[in-house]
Amino acid sequence: MNLTHLNAHGEAHMVDVTDKAETSREAVASGCVFMQPATLALLVEGGLPKGDVLATARIAGIQAAKRTHELIPLCHALALSKVSVDFLINHEQHCVEVSATCRLTGRTGVEMEALTAVSVACLTLYDMCKAVDKTMQIEAIRLDSKIGGKSGDYRRAGYASEAPIVTGEGETGEVSLRERCPTAGVRVKFLAELRERLATSESFVSLDELPRRDIAGLKAVLAQRDPRFALLNEQRILCAINQVMANDTARITDDDEVAFFPPVTGG
Amino acid sequence: MADIEIRVQSNAFAITYGYPETLNGRTDIGAVVSFTGLVRDFNEAPEVTGLSLEHYPGMTEKTLHAIAEQAWQRWPLQAVRVVHRVGHLQPGDPIVRVLVASAHRRDAFQACDFIMDLLKTEAPFWKKEHAKSGDYWVKERHTDQADAQRWSSS
Repeated sequence: MNLTHLNAHGEAHMVDVTDKAETSREAVASGCVFMQPATLALLVEGGLPKGDVLATARIAGIQAAKRTHELIPLCHALALSKVSVDFLINHEQHCVEVSATCRLTGRTGVEMEALTAVSVACLTLYDMCKAVDKTMQIEAIRLDSKIGGKSGDYRRAGYASEAPIVTGEGETGEVSLRERCPTAGVRVKFLAELRERLATSESFVSLDELPRRDIAGLKAVLAQRDPRFALLNEQRILCAINQVMANDTARITDDDEVAFFPPVTGG
Repeated sequence: MADIEIRVQSNAFAITYGYPETLNGRTDIGAVVSFTGLVRDFNEAPEVTGLSLEHYPGMTEKTLHAIAEQAWQRWPLQAVRVVHRVGHLQPGDPIVRVLVASAHRRDAFQACDFIMDLLKTEAPFWKKEHAKSGDYWVKERHTDQADAQRWSSS
């Protein structure tokens, strides 16, 4: 085991990733802010002097993830394709559990971005609440899981979140909620290996964008948006409309859920 | 009414799943055939340390139900039980179990075989294997397709 940020002379250097392959990567990190029960109650009611604590902390975390390379000396600047910061209010242990997910297709991992997002979201929570509670403690900031890259997948021992058993939007292990589309259109899901290859789990396409209202038309619109989606045309990629298998000429209508996925491998 | 029960769950199931409950005092059942699939410690890579199973909630249950329903139409059956796990599994863990009850053995054998063949090619589950050499998505097998096709010709 070597420290990759030290060169042969033991000096700090930035790792050369020019020759590393671009792969789909994801990292999840989490942390906790413990506080007085009264502080937590105020936070939940929105009664704190600085206003909406969680919304502010979420934005702070997302912004921080994008600026990780400015804070951590040997980190590369990355074009993240997804950053999300989520909060869970734990009344029993009177704390706020913070978790961050970062995703991209690139040459280096995104765990530093996820850890930075969590750290800054925790610090912002502290800042937003410190007027009423100075005893707050930020604890257990750590990497929960990491997918992609040469070193393979990692999952912290005891990481409770159950697997990526559910594909699509929403947290891992949770069934995604069916939200109505903002305008007439279809929600598109990319499942399993396809989600990792495309580095995205969901898309929305409005009906107006479609040259023809069928699966072939939908593939064309997506490929126009981003050349990566051309791989939806691979013979082996399957498709379902509203959870029923469909082919290229199958018609799509408003509010349909379309899913693309690789051949199944259960049993 | 078709006596069909489908379950997709992250919790472990008993190796006898469906057996005692289905019989439960009934005397019209002449044959019970069940299949249990387990996680192997070798597959595309040696030393598989575990696997993660993803699925497409909603479609998974619908597809399994439709498969069981087809079996029900095709053979005279008395009960069909299908349970499939999702999430993290370790080598040796039961991953799927299909149980079919009928008056006669041939129908039960065939229906169980049929359900597994169609499950492997139609139900939206995807396996990612974790091995010492890294993680990878399990590739589909042409033999599975051929197995499923046996049933459409007869």
